[in-house]
Amino acid sequence: MSHSKSYDWRPGPRAWWDPRGRGLGYWAFVLHRLTGLGLVAYLLLHLWMLRLLARGPDAWDAFIRTAKSPLFLVLDGVLLLGLVYHGINGLRLTWLGYGRVEERPARGVVLVLGLTALLWLAGMGALLLVVR
Amino acid sequence: MAKPANFHVVIVGGGATGAALAHDLALRGLRVTLVERGEVTSGTTGRHHGLLHSGGRYAVKDPESARECIEENFILRKIAPGSFELNDGLFVAITEEDEAYLPRFLEGCEACGIPTQVLSREEALRLEPNLNPQVRVAVRVPDGTMDAMRLPLRFLATAKKNGAVVRPYTEVLEVLKRNGTVYGVRVRDHVTGREEDIHADVVVNAAGPWSGKIAAMVGVDVPIRPSPGVLVAVEGRWTNMVINRLHPAGDGDIIVPQRGLSIIGTTSWVVDDPDALDLPEDHVRLMFEKGGEMVPVVGKAPLWAAWSAARPLVGPRQAETGRELSRTFKCFDHADEGVEGFVTITGGKATTARGMAEVTADVVCRKLGLDVPSRTREVVLLPHTAYYRL
Amino acid sequence: MGLKRVFRVFRYKPGWSRPRYETYTLDLPEWATVLEALMRIRRDHAPDLTLRHSCLHGSCGTCGMRINGREALACLVKVQDLPERITVEPLYNLGVVSDLVVDMPAFYEKFEPVGRPLIRRSEYLPQAVPPEGIPHFTRLESCIECGLCVSACPVAATDEAYLGPAALAAAWRVVEEPRDARVWQALALADSPHGCWRCHLALECSEVCPTGVKPGHAIAALRAYLLTSQAVRTASPMGEAS
Repeated sequence: MSHSKSYDWRPGPRAWWDPRGRGLGYWAFVLHRLTGLGLVAYLLLHLWMLRLLARGPDAWDAFIRTAKSPLFLVLDGVLLLGLVYHGINGLRLTWLGYGRVEERPARGVVLVLGLTALLWLAGMGALLLVVR
Repeated sequence: MAKPANFHVVIVGGGATGAALAHDLALRGLRVTLVERGEVTSGTTGRHHGLLHSGGRYAVKDPESARECIEENFILRKIAPGSFELNDGLFVAITEEDEAYLPRFLEGCEACGIPTQVLSREEALRLEPNLNPQVRVAVRVPDGTMDAMRLPLRFLATAKKNGAVVRPYTEVLEVLKRNGTVYGVRVRDHVTGREEDIHADVVVNAAGPWSGKIAAMVGVDVPIRPSPGVLVAVEGRWTNMVINRLHPAGDGDIIVPQRGLSIIGTTSWVVDDPDALDLPEDHVRLMFEKGGEMVPVVGKAPLWAAWSAARPLVGPRQAETGRELSRTFKCFDHADEGVEGFVTITGGKATTARGMAEVTADVVCRKLGLDVPSRTREVVLLPHTAYYRL
Repeated sequence: MGLKRVFRVFRYKPGWSRPRYETYTLDLPEWATVLEALMRIRRDHAPDLTLRHSCLHGSCGTCGMRINGREALACLVKVQDLPERITVEPLYNLGVVSDLVVDMPAFYEKFEPVGRPLIRRSEYLPQAVPPEGIPHFTRLESCIECGLCVSACPVAATDEAYLGPAALAAAWRVVEEPRDARVWQALALADSPHGCWRCHLALECSEVCPTGVKPGHAIAALRAYLLTSQAVRTASPMGEAS
């Protein structure tokens, strides 16, 4: 039974995106990866936007007007949600990494989700105030 | 004088017996191939309660088995260090009737060389606080717990290191015979799908409850009764020592702690086909009831698993419950029935597998005209993990 | 007979370019486990179906597989708790030898170097006084080397060299209760690039573990130990010598 002969049966990166039938900790892991990638994508987008500064104040003002459109506000909402989740869950992971795993780790995930929701609502409120 | 390496022995059956035999023969220098239909220890061996017998259970009624057990118990401690939970065992008397059995029990143990220590109720409860507080007296014996699969794996690992070939998922289709002499087996390898003949100077039938089926392939009759028993595992380790009921062998008379579980055993009946074992609901209930009489919390613990295992008992066909059959083993040289080159080893138990193998290997060597002694009493076995690494 | 179930079973033999699924319809008794069903499939329908099993009560760790996408010991899963269609596949991340049999040598290659002794101090019934001649009650380690945790781990899914939850949990046991094992060796393995730092704390290993070893918890404990105690430096062979 040498393993060179065996059939390579592993899910590969699919396991990073597929939390079906898994526990809450796994869902948190998948969300963390997704939001992490999302934030990287946003950072690239952000750098691309900053490029507009080089074209002068008019181009920038025009962009800011678009950025206040409802569509952009929705996108900002999604971004904020991902950011808050990734940040708070990151703190949870750091906490776990210091050996602070409780008997029922799912409770930590629920706490993260709760805090995320609260902070996101507060952030969205602030955002809408600014826009107005 | 013939050299051991000139001879090839095929062992049919990858249970404790076959594993110990492969080890014994390989150590004597013979070439060995062991074939097993499924994974090794998947038949009866892996399913036992994990008791390293002191022999106490058989001391009164079956002294031959009891002597084998205590002798092998001490050998196994030496050759398989690190494989056992060595917390000893207690025989506990709960009723007046149990207590009345004490003198006979002690006498039996003494006669078989099983060390005992009689403990008062208070002493017993100090060792095992979860015992039924009505316990009247207890006897300490050198029982232990083993991992039912890993001990045979250690035999197999050591056999492999000494050149034996172990082939799981290889089913015997036919025992090859010419002019009254067995010369090998035809097998199908279920991994590759290939059929092939494996030639042998001697074929040893170590198929446990299936040994009747293998023997029938060469037309000899082995008086084997597949005798299943129900075992129940409950959640929680409620004792550290093995707890036996101090009375004649009966249903549900033992609790074996095993890692984080407690195993209650067992019942006994007889069947024809070891591949079709039932799991009677009333037997499962009986285990809880009987187990609870010795350790009340065990009777109330959540069920973890219930299963049946078929013992390969040697005895007359008319046996009904299996309790009347001896737990000792028997080695048949079928030359007595006119079939050369074919030996059956059956009966016995996991604790005595090494001894069974020694006797069988002696028979095999005598048939081949070899005069090499067994060395399995001294050689320390490789760890079970080596089975997968070799 | 009361339980009618359809089993979709993963089949693979050496030489096949890919596995296929075969379907078997069974009528089972109420008490039947998935393992019992598979043994009946082998007995009545597919004698060449290879699977591992031994103890039938979750103690030997051989019958680990993926049942409806979740790792479990087949002997502990009751068929009556499952829906009508049941998919049975081998464990992930170890390689398949034949049908449901995975490559256990691949498992032990990582597990064994940790050097965990198998017998531990029994933590049950601390109020029990062991009899004379026995310094303290002992028991076998909880890990039954079944591989469920390795199959459920999303990091093992992509990093073939990852030591994996079982081996790391064993390393933590060496640190927790060294007995005569070499602590520095276990810690060095855990601290290696493919050791405990690769873990992403999905903790699915702890979820699927059938014997309460909770490898994810052990990995977190290892990290904390390595982060806070200068453990590797003091436990290194040179440290031991000085």
